[in-house]
Amino acid sequence: MNEISSSKPEGQAMISMAGVDKWYGAFQALKDINISVGKGEKIVLCGPSGSGKSTLIRCINHLETYQKGEIRVGDIVLGHQAKSIDAVRREVGMVFQQFNLFPHLTVLENCMLAPMRALRLSKVEAESRARQLLERVRISEQADKYPAQLSGGQQQRVAIARALCMRPQVMLFDEPTSALDPEMVKEVLDTMIALAEEGMTMICVTHEMGFARQVADRVIFMASGAVVEQAPPAEFFSDPKHERTRKFLGEILGRH
Amino acid sequence: MGRDEIIFLLIGLKWTIALSIVGFVCGCIAGLFIALARTSGVRVVEGLTAGYIAVFQGTPLLMQLFVVYYGLALIGIKVDAWLAVAVGLTLHASAYLGEIWRGAIEAVPQGQTEASKALALSYSSRMKDIILPQALRISLPATIGFLVQLIKGTSLASIVGFTELTRAGNIISNQIFQPLTVFGIVGILYFIMCCPLTIYGAHLERKFAAQAR
Repeated sequence: MNEISSSKPEGQAMISMAGVDKWYGAFQALKDINISVGKGEKIVLCGPSGSGKSTLIRCINHLETYQKGEIRVGDIVLGHQAKSIDAVRREVGMVFQQFNLFPHLTVLENCMLAPMRALRLSKVEAESRARQLLERVRISEQADKYPAQLSGGQQQRVAIARALCMRPQVMLFDEPTSALDPEMVKEVLDTMIALAEEGMTMICVTHEMGFARQVADRVIFMASGAVVEQAPPAEFFSDPKHERTRKFLGEILGRH
Repeated sequence: MGRDEIIFLLIGLKWTIALSIVGFVCGCIAGLFIALARTSGVRVVEGLTAGYIAVFQGTPLLMQLFVVYYGLALIGIKVDAWLAVAVGLTLHASAYLGEIWRGAIEAVPQGQTEASKALALSYSSRMKDIILPQALRISLPATIGFLVQLIKGTSLASIVGFTELTRAGNIISNQIFQPLTVFGIVGILYFIMCCPLTIYGAHLERKFAAQAR
């Protein structure tokens, strides 16, 4: 993808989590998470609800705090000080289940705000970047509408464009299609597939196993706050090692 | 009731409007900081502002005006009634508006804060560009409702000797011995100020309710 700086050598971890623990009071939400994601790698994170997958990716951009361990994004060690948190958030885009577009701003303004405020782009630069990315998610004709005037699938594509306007090194997807009507899932997945093909580093929490098969370099399965198993999709689906993985796959694939 | 009496009432009306505007505008500015402090996440700051709000919501406005008027004199600051009442109304309005807007800020969905953070927006940008515009909309009917209360509340300034509309009515009534006529007119003047605001507030409430559906 031409927009991503390629200054980092291939093979170096884009994201690494080492020994990350998180508690909510006495409840341990994440247990000794050790994950390394290479530049350009696509990860699908799956597992039963409450297994900690959303919590895990929300730790990467510090929407959730964690009590132990270390998280790195590129060269930046994510500490608990505002400076490193801001630095990480400028490099990491996130797409939410509920879209979370800003309802009082137009589609174009949604996309322009953060580049102007956080990256100090001029209005002209921000607008040209926003229009370019709205074009890329094929929604440029809706630029002057408000989010409530769009369908769910369109809103989620705008949310993807909004995140891309920051030119992030990494994109996190937190169940991006779970709140969508079935007929809108495909347009969002297609957008994500296109992004993956352009070489974006992605971590996707999703139950879309077709997407995992097609796009993922690696599938990570979590249960009860711990990583149970990780493997390339072919191996993950055909030859799951753990009983919990088999049970989960049986439930989720049997349902579809 | 002659022309001079009407003019005297209208001068009183002018001061009522001036007091309302000063109290509301200064109260808005101070109330914004109260609301931000109340939602700051810093426990000491939240506690202090909660106490401030509790004091002003838990005591009568008249008593607050007395305390400012006589209290400032007691500690050696000599102020005229106009300034004392303006300060008193500002403090009163800041507490109420601070609490109204705290509720509105908290009513903005959490996802808006999360999306702002994920986009690396600073606290000031998150508030100014994302949260406050939405909170203001949510709070508009309640804010207008409070403005109406404040306009009527300025009548208490008459008790510390400030000649606004109510006191002007009182003076005229004592001169021409027609209390019913005089206070009837005074009442109509308050009504003309407040009723359109109330209707506008109700209109906004219906409009937002329709949009939320």
